[in-house]
Amino acid sequence: MNVLIKSATVIDTSSKFHNQIVDVLIEKGKISQIAKSIKNTSNYKEIELDNLHISQGWFDSSVCFGEPGFEDRETIENGLKTAAKSGFTSIALQANTNPIIDTSSDVTFVLSKAQTQPVDLLPIGALTKNSESVDLAELFDMKNAGAVAFSDYKKPITNPNLLKIALQYASNFDGLVCSFPLEQKIAGKGIVNEHVSSTMLGLKGSPNLAESLQVARDLYILEYSGGKLHIPTISTKESVKLIREAKEKKLDVTCSVAIHNLFLTDDVLNEFDTRYKVNPPLRTQDDIDALIEGIKDGTIDMVTSDHNPQTIEEKKVEFDHANYGTIGLESAFSALNQIFSTKKSIQLLTKGKERFGSITSKIEEGEVANITLFNPNEKYVFGKSNILSKSKNSAFLGQELKGKAYGIYANKKIVL
Amino acid sequence: MSELSVNHLLGIKYLKEEDIELIFKTADHFKEVINRPIKKVPSLRDITIANLFFENSTRTKLSFELAEKRLSADVINFSAGQSSVKKGETLIDTVNNILSMKVDMVVMRHPNPGAGVFLSKHVDAAIVNAGDGAHEHPTQALLDSYSIRERLGSVKGKNVVIVGDILHSRVALSNIFALKLQGANVMVCGPKTLLPKHIDKLGVKVETNLRKALNWCDVANMLRVQNERMDISYFPSTREYTQQFGVNKDLLDSLDKEIIIMHPGPINRGVEITSDVADSKQAIILDQVQNGVAVRMAVIYLLASKIKN
Repeated sequence: MNVLIKSATVIDTSSKFHNQIVDVLIEKGKISQIAKSIKNTSNYKEIELDNLHISQGWFDSSVCFGEPGFEDRETIENGLKTAAKSGFTSIALQANTNPIIDTSSDVTFVLSKAQTQPVDLLPIGALTKNSESVDLAELFDMKNAGAVAFSDYKKPITNPNLLKIALQYASNFDGLVCSFPLEQKIAGKGIVNEHVSSTMLGLKGSPNLAESLQVARDLYILEYSGGKLHIPTISTKESVKLIREAKEKKLDVTCSVAIHNLFLTDDVLNEFDTRYKVNPPLRTQDDIDALIEGIKDGTIDMVTSDHNPQTIEEKKVEFDHANYGTIGLESAFSALNQIFSTKKSIQLLTKGKERFGSITSKIEEGEVANITLFNPNEKYVFGKSNILSKSKNSAFLGQELKGKAYGIYANKKIVL
Repeated sequence: MSELSVNHLLGIKYLKEEDIELIFKTADHFKEVINRPIKKVPSLRDITIANLFFENSTRTKLSFELAEKRLSADVINFSAGQSSVKKGETLIDTVNNILSMKVDMVVMRHPNPGAGVFLSKHVDAAIVNAGDGAHEHPTQALLDSYSIRERLGSVKGKNVVIVGDILHSRVALSNIFALKLQGANVMVCGPKTLLPKHIDKLGVKVETNLRKALNWCDVANMLRVQNERMDISYFPSTREYTQQFGVNKDLLDSLDKEIIIMHPGPINRGVEITSDVADSKQAIILDQVQNGVAVRMAVIYLLASKIKN
């Protein structure tokens, strides 16, 4: 669809139009003209919205939907629609479905489900067969089918030698290996952060050590094996320090942090509300401060909503029995924009694209139009009416947030 | 204060100091009642109480049932072994099914921390937490404080040490909250592996030497080692645990002052305390049991009055 975007503030530090209010003409999926004022001579669809801002399309490196196998949580179709309305033009889809996405035909299946959608679905293939952390899955074959990275989602790689081999093997074809940072023996049966809250509530705690010990191990292995490592959703101050040191050594490592781990501390657990049962667990303000510092100095490369829909049956039970996870696509930008400046928030939502093989295009004439439209100033309390996902398990319900996505222009389609 | 500030007893941390005072004043009255020849009052003839025990219990269940019967409430009992829980029914459905038979109050023991809090948000009945995982066991803490008050006049300013498996203990946690609320000084003592790492942040002293702890305290509350809750060994052997954290008569006699020994039961004789300590005049273990009935009568009576109002 050809469109004319009117009076939009460009937030794109790589563009010469950054911070300028301009009209943007999009024809055949490309930005054909950017100017102070463009006349709509061809009678294109005109988009004029309150306090409209545009940026490069946003990307999320860790999203779960549920299809195949858990369609009652979320389907790929509705999940991608939710992503589009929430401002994301590409998402990396985790392989924790049933069956697990661990073959090229599985990768092809999820890609086929996304074919007509404006949002790019970037499949993550399982690192090991059935994500059992025993034998490597056919990584090369999955990469050729379109897998952008390899991960057993929240299942840690328990065998250090397996990680070593995975990194060495995947380096043959520039494959990105993800290793969830959790040392299971130290974590034991811990389900929340080990701190005052867990002590007060009698819930089993998992200490920061359970994360940082695994991060330290993984970085040692990476230093030996070479290859490309991504450590998803770190949550502790110790992990930030370890990754900062690894980057100083020029190791090829990236990491992400889940937005809820930046926004909420474990204090919210006091009513045993299962919406806050997430993995990694919500930590302390000390950890949040270190994570924000890590974001500012570039130690942390990207943020993720770590979107994980769970049905009411999986959440409305005793805390011990509830599944982990919160949805996060709908609240991602507004929550980030509450913590950081809009410029920084956008940077965090676009920075991981290259690492995960998503298209990157600037807001410049001649570039492919892959754009998010948003209003950074609108303040609101996040409620059920803001949820577009099939599952409603959001840790952000009731939180005051700032800024809303209007939608996207991507793959020659506009979603508002 | 003539009524409780809460509609449920989910934990001590949800109570105010005045709530505890009111419960104790009411318990004083009921203690007098249960020592009469006719140990029963007609107060709750119009109330039906369900005792839901999703985890094994002997003394707590008996104590609650007796308290309810002494108040003339109608009582039904339910335990997980005979229930539909094993058929996959959720906790909310199980309880709502029971409540639809016109039950006013639920006394629940459950293996999961927060089960009582969870239930109170989703069903329409007063909930009394009779122990939820390693979270709270509020009536035990209330009867413990009541027993200290009975023996020493008050709890305020007293030094109380809780000895043993603090990590897996709801009794320890509720006692810490209750004692602190009433102005006692609280210490925990045990092997470091059985002390929660952040327990000091609850405002308690931490000691790993039993003799030092006992020399400091007026009251020692000896907890049972909960082997059934341990996923790995937190100490090499019971023998070695007893060597370091068991109280025997020689140790007790060698202290500078005569301290009071408490135990929530069931006792592992020869492990946390020896028989001669358990049976000595310093031990108030059986007083605790008797006070348990009076305190539980008080809690149920006060919560029932809120339902009636």
